[in-house]
Amino acid sequence: MQSESARVTTAQEAKYRVQYPNSQRRAVKVIALDPPSAQMIDELAKKEWNGATFFRALSFASDAEPGKTNAGLNAWLNDLAGRALDLVSEVASSDFIVVVSAAGEDARSVSVIADACTAHHKTLVALVVPGEGASDADVSASMSHLRPYARMLVIAHDADYITAMLTALRA
Amino acid sequence: MPLTLRKRAGERRKGRMFMLRKEQNDYLTQTDPGTPMGDLFRCYWMPALLSEELPEADCPPVRLKLLGERLVAFRDSEGKLGLIDEFCAHRGVSLWFGRNEECGLRCPYHGWKFDVTGQCVDVPSEPAESGYAKKVKLKSYPLIEKGGVLWTYMGPPEKQPPEPEYEFCTVPLNQTFMTKRLQESNWLQAMEGGIDSSHVSFLHRGDLSTDPLFKGAAGNKYNMQDLSPVFEVTESDGGLLIGARRNAEDDQYYWRITPWVMPCYTGVPPRGDHPMHGHFWVPIDDHSCWAWSYDYHPTRALTDHEVDSMKAGKGIHVRYVPGTYRPLANKDNDYLMDREAQKAGRTFSGVEGIGMQDASLQESMGPICDRTKENLVGTDNGIIMARHRLMRSAKALAEKGVIPPGVDPEHHKVRQAALLLPRDVQYKDGAKEALKAKKGVRQTSV
Repeated sequence: MQSESARVTTAQEAKYRVQYPNSQRRAVKVIALDPPSAQMIDELAKKEWNGATFFRALSFASDAEPGKTNAGLNAWLNDLAGRALDLVSEVASSDFIVVVSAAGEDARSVSVIADACTAHHKTLVALVVPGEGASDADVSASMSHLRPYARMLVIAHDADYITAMLTALRA
Repeated sequence: MPLTLRKRAGERRKGRMFMLRKEQNDYLTQTDPGTPMGDLFRCYWMPALLSEELPEADCPPVRLKLLGERLVAFRDSEGKLGLIDEFCAHRGVSLWFGRNEECGLRCPYHGWKFDVTGQCVDVPSEPAESGYAKKVKLKSYPLIEKGGVLWTYMGPPEKQPPEPEYEFCTVPLNQTFMTKRLQESNWLQAMEGGIDSSHVSFLHRGDLSTDPLFKGAAGNKYNMQDLSPVFEVTESDGGLLIGARRNAEDDQYYWRITPWVMPCYTGVPPRGDHPMHGHFWVPIDDHSCWAWSYDYHPTRALTDHEVDSMKAGKGIHVRYVPGTYRPLANKDNDYLMDREAQKAGRTFSGVEGIGMQDASLQESMGPICDRTKENLVGTDNGIIMARHRLMRSAKALAEKGVIPPGVDPEHHKVRQAALLLPRDVQYKDGAKEALKAKKGVRQTSV
């Protein structure tokens, strides 16, 4: 007699898998940490996404110093329309956070975002995009800034990868 | 191009909730002749058979299927290797029934004979002087022997790359051990398991302390203490490097770095002085693949105990149905599921052995995993990037003839590594030398 495993792993049986949406729309917040990556996400934002929203700038209140751990969470994001939005509220209402950093640019602001993620138990994924002319030292410097905070750190050699990753994550 | 690819090519995307669209899944998983991924695979040397399958001149031929093509391999009277179309050009008889004699494989039906290049050298019904035989030739592919493996290249002859230089096949034969097993699933879901480092702490957790080819390594404790590794993925010349980092003492991180070389080679980070191991996943057809499993040590012969363990199915190897390369635990016997062992924690899934723990779950996905329904998370970026590189490379090959990563033998000279690094040191810097295959230099392992 054919075993159950043999019977159920055929292409024929695959047709009987229950067809339904097995997850809900998720809120992915994509944050550019610097001007070059802000340009990238400007382009990304023009595409069609499930629930992803994009922020292209980060400004901090004077009592929060980027790069210092435990910096105050009184920080602000700008959406693509230029509206100031509260970082903590945005993180709190997200499912996870993706930060994008151009290699060699100042990525220290990730620490404040990471604090917000920690406070609200959100995963932070970091992408470093080397860009043209970026040196190994630039990439290393960016990774050093991001490493302590990111659950997943990726060097994406082309901006297309950001699209691929966000699509894969159903963003 | 297969119907499914043609059919899907013009379809509009109907929604954004798909993780990987159906046509993308088809693109990545179909490797028959004429498919984009099939063309990509045909840029590389791939393991085809074990040397032991053609042990001597004039031994019995072996039939095999690779990338959706049915072939027969034989070693002729002079020891030359041949890999040719399985079927006789006369009436379509399988040449597996052929007589391997006097430098050729002779069809038992009407006596037509073919040499290792597929050239017909004898048609008994026609006068030899007629030259009839010279006008008949079966498709053939080169077959070379290296490191106990018979490798083939199935692409255009004018684009045949230099021979493979993976370290396991360049060390002396007493330092290397290779097996293969049939996996009854598409190659991609099998390969993706090899670059999915986060499953080890769950699925294989019972084996780290008991398997003779894993236990005793100092690094094992970090795996067990820290079940939430942090990952870094970066492209390498030949594919990817996937680093998994766990906390260690003295302000250090324990790094396990997995190389993936396109399209289907991976190295598992080593443990202690145990031999290093890894895999190739070579498509048979779209519903099955060969999972090749190597073990080697760069600087010493494998011990009898190690080889005996590998033959007994320990480590990443498996025990077989006698006389075959099909695992003894397979879908026909529900993988010898042991619920008591699962409940007691001796195995996490109830299936014994690392190889079959992986294979059983990957086969349970179905012949071709439906990726439109999966929900990937951030730590799956190794898988996401591998798919991205495969698709990008296949497209560049199809549109511009760009030779894909992993063809250049220099790309093969990469090693897996496991090491402790200060927390402020990048693994790509701190492990730079450890990730290079160097003759006579021991692996970097904890």
